[in-house]
Amino acid sequence: MSRKIVSLLLAALLLIGCLPALAEEAVTVVDMHDREITLTEPVTRIVAMQPSDCEILCAIGCEDALVGIGQYCDYPASITSLPVVQSGAETNVEEILALEPQVVLMNDMSQSEEQVKQLEENGVKVVVSKATDIEGVYYAIRMIGALMGKQDAAEAVVADMQATFDDIRAKVQDEGKTVYFEVSPLQYGLWTAGKGTFMDELAGICGLTNAFDDVDDWASISEEQVIARDPDYIVTITMYFGEGPLPVDEILAREGWQDMKAVKNGQVFNASDSNALSRPGPRLKDAAVELYNFVYGEAGEVAPAA
Amino acid sequence: MNDARSLRRERFAPVTYALLTAGLLLTMVLCVCVGSVPITLSDTVTAVWNALWGLPIPQNIAKNIILNVRLPRVLCVALAGASLSLCGAAMQGLLRNPLADGSTIGVSSGAALGAVIAMAAGITLPGSGYGGVMLTAMAFAFGSLVLILSLAYALDRSLATNSIILIGVIFTMFISSIISLVVTFASEHTRSLNFWTLGSFSGVNYDQAKLLGLALLVCGSVILRYSHELNAFAVGEDNARHIGVNVKRVKLIILITISALIGVCVSISGTVSFVGLVMPHIARMLVGPNHRRLLPAALFAGAIFLLLADLAARTLFSPIELSIGVVTSLVGAVAFVIIFYRTRKAG
Repeated sequence: MSRKIVSLLLAALLLIGCLPALAEEAVTVVDMHDREITLTEPVTRIVAMQPSDCEILCAIGCEDALVGIGQYCDYPASITSLPVVQSGAETNVEEILALEPQVVLMNDMSQSEEQVKQLEENGVKVVVSKATDIEGVYYAIRMIGALMGKQDAAEAVVADMQATFDDIRAKVQDEGKTVYFEVSPLQYGLWTAGKGTFMDELAGICGLTNAFDDVDDWASISEEQVIARDPDYIVTITMYFGEGPLPVDEILAREGWQDMKAVKNGQVFNASDSNALSRPGPRLKDAAVELYNFVYGEAGEVAPAA
Repeated sequence: MNDARSLRRERFAPVTYALLTAGLLLTMVLCVCVGSVPITLSDTVTAVWNALWGLPIPQNIAKNIILNVRLPRVLCVALAGASLSLCGAAMQGLLRNPLADGSTIGVSSGAALGAVIAMAAGITLPGSGYGGVMLTAMAFAFGSLVLILSLAYALDRSLATNSIILIGVIFTMFISSIISLVVTFASEHTRSLNFWTLGSFSGVNYDQAKLLGLALLVCGSVILRYSHELNAFAVGEDNARHIGVNVKRVKLIILITISALIGVCVSISGTVSFVGLVMPHIARMLVGPNHRRLLPAALFAGAIFLLLADLAARTLFSPIELSIGVVTSLVGAVAFVIIFYRTRKAG
């Protein structure tokens, strides 16, 4: 009798244990192009075209499912040995099909309808990921988490990012200080990141105002305007390739910039070591910490959350 | 025909030169006073005046913007405009081709390729950071010119308009794809593709203005000295030979000079198209086809046009800055079609 109860209980337990697994079988997500995508099971083979999506996949522990990457995917370094496929307008359908993925994660910027159709006709689902703000990044992380059957890991990554941003927000006060982001250096014509960029949002988190918040997205701007707006901080994302002066030194030495607040006070910072600042992925939190540490110095140092 | 009186009539009177210079200076003053950041006229004048006479300059924002950003840029734009237009006028006369210009027959893109390669490969001259790039640009400009002309000559010994332009267009496309290849693989060493294809005067300095000035002084005086020979070429090479012009030598000297000047311009500002094509035509409409008048007129017209184009690029969508090539190509493409249409109808 008691044995019967035990076995019944065991059976019930087993059933309960199986339920989530059963529920996981079918996966439905709404991608960032508002298309509903249904898969019969969580994805085990995936191609990610954008660096940020690769970073998200690795952050939620799905590096093993990644079978192909886009051209500019370089983080974490361990993924760079994966097969590289052409992205954007040159998307090569054959290359992707040869990798036999169930899903391709891509932006919807430059692929043609035909390319997407060709992929879908061959049984590869196309999921669009295109975050343009931090909320969008959270959505992308959760969406990819659902695709891979890793909702919990995705929630943890989002919570970690939110905690870091909240931590910084709690520590800073908006003192009306301004920051100028330099995306392209003077010799190539100045470009900055205006409203609607991650840099603009991160500046807000760190209690700063973007000096060019009247410009949308990335824009080529005039040198005169930078001097006239006289920002308190300058952040450059210019890469250094081991030739000529360091980007920060080059800015400090520019003719006509010597009387700007940021230059006089030496508040010029190069954030190019990690391309986290411009990439809509989990490392935006590292970028926020970097920016915070630069602005508020050692005294208020926040350790990057583990 | 060559007596003193007719020579005097052929040339501009000093008063015309004075007027042209005044017009250019006025445009330059306008371009220094107007910019994306409004600065009062008195601050502007004080900054420039005191800098000119070595007086102490009041420490304010006007000083930095006017003296370090706007003035060097205005100088470079004026010099580059004058150089490109002069080269265009000389080339049109030499080749008897109304559509010849650095940007239409492929010399500018050749120079750009030279500059890109020099930057990517790190070719430098000891003692001067930029000399290697400039010399390579010059050499490539000359090489492209020789290549295009010999191809056109092999195709059609009369060097007719259509064959040169056709070869120039194909050559430009070919070179642009090589430039984008080099930029793709060595993007960390060279400037962006946008710079090379559309041109920009953002961030130029006094050293570059001095270089452009020197190049224009040397090459410009060589070209102006050959006004008489260019007049002869405009009638026809045989005609030039008959009146005692050493055709080969003069042609070579003018081609080398043009390549050198275009090479310097391109290495500083990228390829700014259409200035050299359109301005000589406008100058020709105003002063006629005689090169003694045409060359100086084209020089001034080019400078004034490019100054105004750059002013538009700087201020139209402030604080956003356009590439100068966007403005010149907009104006230039329309003018190009009109000129082409009119010459076809005339011929």
